Formats: sequence, C-alpha cells, structure tokens
Amino acid sequence: MTLEFTRSAPLTMGVELELMILSTHDWNLIRGAGDLLSLIDKEKDAGDIKPEITESMIEISTGVNTNYLTMLAELTAIRDTLVANAKRLNLAIAGGGTHPFQHWSEQRIFPKERFFHLHEMYGYLAKQFTVFGQHIHVGVSSGDEAIYLLHMMSRYIPHFIALSASSPFSQGMDTAFDSSRLNNINAFPLSGTMPFVADWNEFNVYFDTMRDLKVVESMKDFYWDIRPKPEFGTIEIRVCDTPLTIEKAAALAAYAQALARHLMLDRPGAPSLDVYRVYSFNRFTACRYGLEAGFIDAGTRTRRALKEDIAETLVRLAPHAEALGSTAALQVIQRCNEAGENDASWLRAELKTGQTLNDVVRRQSHLWVTGNKAADSPARQ
Amino acid sequence: MDDIALLPSFPLAAANMILVGAILLCGLAVGQVFVRVLRLPRITGFVAAGLVLGPGVLGLLDQAMLGELSIFVDISLGLILFELGRRLDFRWFTHDRWLLASSVAESLLSFLFVYGTLRFFSVAPVYSATAAAIAMATSPAVLIMIVHDQRAKGPLTERLLALTALNNVFAFLLIALLFGFVHLEYGADWLRATLHPMYLIAGSAGLGFLAFLASRTLARWLGKREDSQFVMLLGLIVGTVGCAISFKLSVLLALLAFGVFAKNLDRDHDLMAVEFGPGGQFFLVMLFVITGAGLRPSELAVTGVVGAAFVLARLAGKLIGLGLFAPLSGISQKKALLLGIGMVPMSAIAVVMVQGASALYPEFGATLSSIVLPAVVILELVGPLATQWALRRAGETEPMTGVGA
Repeated sequence: MTLEFTRSAPLTMGVELELMILSTHDWNLIRGAGDLLSLIDKEKDAGDIKPEITESMIEISTGVNTNYLTMLAELTAIRDTLVANAKRLNLAIAGGGTHPFQHWSEQRIFPKERFFHLHEMYGYLAKQFTVFGQHIHVGVSSGDEAIYLLHMMSRYIPHFIALSASSPFSQGMDTAFDSSRLNNINAFPLSGTMPFVADWNEFNVYFDTMRDLKVVESMKDFYWDIRPKPEFGTIEIRVCDTPLTIEKAAALAAYAQALARHLMLDRPGAPSLDVYRVYSFNRFTACRYGLEAGFIDAGTRTRRALKEDIAETLVRLAPHAEALGSTAALQVIQRCNEAGENDASWLRAELKTGQTLNDVVRRQSHLWVTGNKAADSPARQ
Repeated sequence: MDDIALLPSFPLAAANMILVGAILLCGLAVGQVFVRVLRLPRITGFVAAGLVLGPGVLGLLDQAMLGELSIFVDISLGLILFELGRRLDFRWFTHDRWLLASSVAESLLSFLFVYGTLRFFSVAPVYSATAAAIAMATSPAVLIMIVHDQRAKGPLTERLLALTALNNVFAFLLIALLFGFVHLEYGADWLRATLHPMYLIAGSAGLGFLAFLASRTLARWLGKREDSQFVMLLGLIVGTVGCAISFKLSVLLALLAFGVFAKNLDRDHDLMAVEFGPGGQFFLVMLFVITGAGLRPSELAVTGVVGAAFVLARLAGKLIGLGLFAPLSGISQKKALLLGIGMVPMSAIAVVMVQGASALYPEFGATLSSIVLPAVVILELVGPLATQWALRRAGETEPMTGVGA
C-alpha cells in the first residue's frame, strides 16, 4: 500500500500555530481549552481552532494561501476571534515557544483518544510536550518534488530556528538557549530528520517497512523537523517556535515560500548527504545562540556567521519575493536579522525591565493581541 | 533574688499561647481524621473540632477565651477578603457583561427567596432582610481553603472566585444599608439611620483605598521581591484591620476594597500576586476552629425547619440565577449547576459583620443570630463538601499523583 501524494498548487502556503492559554490572575498556564473551544464552536466562520495535547494549549491554522498579505489578514481575523472569546472567559492568549515558568507535571492531557494514547506511550514526555510551535506548509505538485524540496530546505533549517526562537525560559529558568523548545522534541524516538531517500517511491518503501514493523501507524507519528504531508500535498516545516506576534509568523511563512520558489525554480544543485552530516551541529548552535550562531555551509565547506548566511539568502530571494508579493515580509525578516534580535532577545529584555517571569508573560500576551512590536510590522518603512 | 519567681505559678503566664497552640493542634488532628478516615474536607474537621471544644458541647473554649482570640479571626478575615478582592477583575465584566448579570441574578434571587421564606415563617421584615442579605454571600474562607487544598485551577474555579467576590460585595453593601433600617427599628432618628451606613461604606472603601496607595508606593520602593512584598502586604493588611476596628468601620468591606483596588488600579503592575501559603494556613485553621466554637448544635434542633427552608431557598436562588444567564455567559447548564453547588458554603463572616455593627442593639444581634445560625451550622458542615464536589466534578482539582506525594 503506497501513500498517495495529493497534488497541490505549488508554492501555496498555510500555517499552524500552537498557542498558550493563560490565567490573567497569575499568568500561569490554565486548563481553558475545553471552555474556549465550546465557546468558539458556537461562532460561525471562526477559522480553524483545535485542541492540542494538554488542556492549556490551543492550535489555530489558516487555509491555503498564495499571498503573504491575505495570509496575514486571515491570521488577524482568527487571532481576534480567539482573543475576543478568551476575554469573555477572562483568559489570555500568547505566543512564544515555551511558557516561561509552568511546571510540566501540572499539565493535564486533553481528553481525546489520540492524546491519551500518546501519554500512555511517551509517559512524562507527553506532558513535557507542552511547548508551542509554528508549522509552515508549502504546497508542491508531486511526491518527488516534495522529497527534493525537503532535502534542499534542510540546509536552511537553522535560519528558521534562529529567526523564530522564542523559548529562552523553561520551568522558571533561563536555559541559555534561544530555542529551548526543540530540546523537548529531541527526546522523541521518531524526531530528527527524514532518511536520505531519493524520491517518493523510495520514501514509500521506507514508510511501508516502518509500518510493517509497527514502528509507526501514520505519517503523524514522525516528529521530523521537516516532513512530507501527502494528504495536504505539502512539506511541513516544524522547527519554528510560535512567534510572539502573528506578523512574525506570517513573515516566516513568506520566507519559506520565497525560499521554496528559489529552490524549485533555480534548482541550485542536487540534494546532498553532506548537509545532514553537519545538520545536528547547525541545528544545535542555532537553538543555543539564535542569530548569534555560527553556521557550517556543507556546500562550500566553510564556517560563517548564521546572520551572514541569512543576509545572503535574503538577497537571493528578493526577486522571488517580489514575484510572490511578499517583499514586505522579507523586510521584516531582514530587520530582525540585521538587528540580531529575535523574540528570545525581546523576552530576555522584558525580564530585565519587568523583573518577574509573570510580568514577562503578561507583556507577551499583550504583544500577541496588539502585535505592535514595531520590527515585525510590514507597514514600517 | 526570690527563688519562687523561677517556678511557674497560676494563672500560667503564657496561658493564651498554650491555648492557641492547643487549638491549632486539635484542629489539625480532627482535620486529619476527617480527611483520612471519613474522606471529608479537612475544613469540616476544623469546624467540627471547634464545635466540640466550644461552649455548645464540651465548653473547653468559653466565650471569654473566644473574645481574646478574636484578633486571629480579624486577621484571617482580612487576609481572605484581600485575596478575594484581588479576584474581582473589572475587565472581565467589561468583556462579559452577562457574568455581572448572572451574579446580580443569583444574589438577588437568593435574597428574595430567603426573605420570602423567612417572612413565611413570620420573621419580622428587618430581620428577614438582614438574614437574606447574609444569605447572598458565599463563604470566601471555605472557597479559598478548598481551592488551595484541592489545588483547583481552571475556568470554573476562576469564575467561582469572581462570583463569590461579587456576591460578598453585594452582601456587605446591602447589610450596611440595612443598618439604617435597624436604627429606625430601634427608634433612632433619620440622620443617624442615613449617616451610619454612609460612614460604613465610604469610610471602609476609603480606608481600603489608602491601604492600596500605601502598598503601591512601598511595592515600587521594594521592587519585585516576593518575600519583601509578602511581609509588606501582611503588615498593611493587619494594620488596615486594626484601623477599621479602631474607627468602627467594616473590617470586611475595607479589606475587600483594598484587594479590589490592588487588582484593578495597579496599572503598572507594581504589586505581585503573593501567595500567603503556609503562613496563611495558620490563620485559616484558627478561623475555622473558632467559627466552629461559635456554633450551637442545640439551636439547630430548635429551629431546624426554618434553617432547612432557609438553606433550600438560598440554594434555589443561586441555581436559578446562574442557570438563567448561563447560555448568555457562554457556559453550559452543567457548569452553572456546578457553580451553584460550589457557592453553597455560607459566609459566617457576614454574621460577624452584623454582630460587630449591631453591638449597639444587643437584642437585634441575638435575635438575628438565632435566625441565621441554624443555616450557618448546616452550611459550615455541608458547604466545604459541596464546593469540593463541584470542583472535582468540573475536573479542575489536582489529585496527588506524584511519587511519594
């Protein structure tokens, strides 16, 4: 039995964001998903809002978009619905890859069979999975194209990690990482990268083997950094922390879209196993140091600053962004890169002025509603 | 130096401290028995311990001793009402005005039903009204203690705390206003009847506001250090309780106002959300034991029917009021039912308020007590169980699952 790869319009994009549900009393996570979802269910056209593994998480997702600005508009509408309903329950919503001071043991599994199954299988890892990521889908026309794009995209994974990093704090401590969230994911047996398969057929052979061995039941069981999503006809980038604003989330999606256009149209070389040899190291430094990380370019066999690599990529992507109508989005990325300031730096700066982690969460929740962090706004020139 | 001074002599020099220690340990022991053997909330155990030790049964704690211990009651109430006031978030009401409506409905219906019931049993209007006003309030002490003990956390818990804060505000204001009628009932003039309620309300709220201003100034200077802010708030709470007593204001209103201002006017978020934790437990255990000691089981037997009718009327008011507005406030009828049951504990605090301010007319206090206390006896014992059940059914309590916990 082979996995059918749904054909989808190339270079379309969609975004999923996992968000935290907060108590406005102490700004800790609160088990509000059930109440919030039943309130939203009553509203029509509320966008796609779903439960996640623990009861203080909620996931929003967009439809299929071709344009950055329409995606931003859709995200804005979903965010506003979510926030308005949360306010009725005196709850708050926020972005960010980890909740700074929640204790994983206090989390409760959302009552859904799949989540109970995961909890049974993974034990405490399931509750520690109370971390919040952004998933970016990019449409491709075939399974073979998906495999090609996925391998080529792997080189750029550190870009996404460093640009989106928003999880410096975990369990009440500064972790010294910009993205501590990915460390939680590393613990899962099926995390990491997809094997170095050449095309969709080879992938199917691998998948069948794993399924026959009862290692997996479906694609959902792979927690890879990028994975093909045959039922959507997309590849799914899963390394991003949920940013603190939807503006940043939309800009990251547009960056992925422009990058995909470049890789698909310009065809800059063939997939190389060399990328995977340095992959873990590049991924680690990007998590640890964010935009101050170093980067090993497997192609040229040189070491450079990650910032430099992102700046160069942005230059290469400029014509593609123009064609896609997302120049403004790439400017958001550029400003973030040049300043060397991702959301993790914003959170650390807030802790200095706000003094406690409760204050940091309150401010990040406020930021999620207003999105007025000047650097992320496409309008600023 | 006289050798005799080295030896103890009667009355014992520190008899009060021995008494406090003994009360705490008795309360603790009975509380543990209730939890371990009877599987009931430990609060019920504390109250039962007080009941048995008090004048009603064994008489080991007599009225004079209870009088000396009243400082613990006042400080405990101060802590609880401040904490409760901080749960009254005005922004919530602007985002969900139906929440405010459901609170008004449940308070009003409890008042009307209880008033009607007491009038049916031929209780005089002014007594019926005051008793009905007391019936509006849910006991914040029981609620906060159960929430703490059960580690309850979630939307229903938050809603229960907010609704309780509100019905306490309504009850306190109404009771203060009813004092005017009490004055008239006992032949005082109109001036006194209007000025006393105004003095109570405005004075207590003003005192709470001053306490808030002081806390904010001090918090800015201290910075966000939990230990410093803890001591600062405790100091201000105890001081405010003292001022309220000295100026014959309402301790309850003043501290509730302090908490409400701290939650809603602290724009720059200088005040931290301090947990009173184990230190606060000391005061709470004392409060419940002393409350228990104030109960008379014999009264229950005499006026049991009125007491039971009172309790049922009150519950009906709360359930109907909450149920009516549940759909508009975005919660299910099941949640509304759980909220109503969670609000069953009646506030013995309101009785304290009435007794304090009706000291002028001892007869009034005594008559009122005889009307309200049977219901208080029932609800002090049943209430904690009801609240605990509601929170568990809502799935918001945290069973102790950790290894060795």
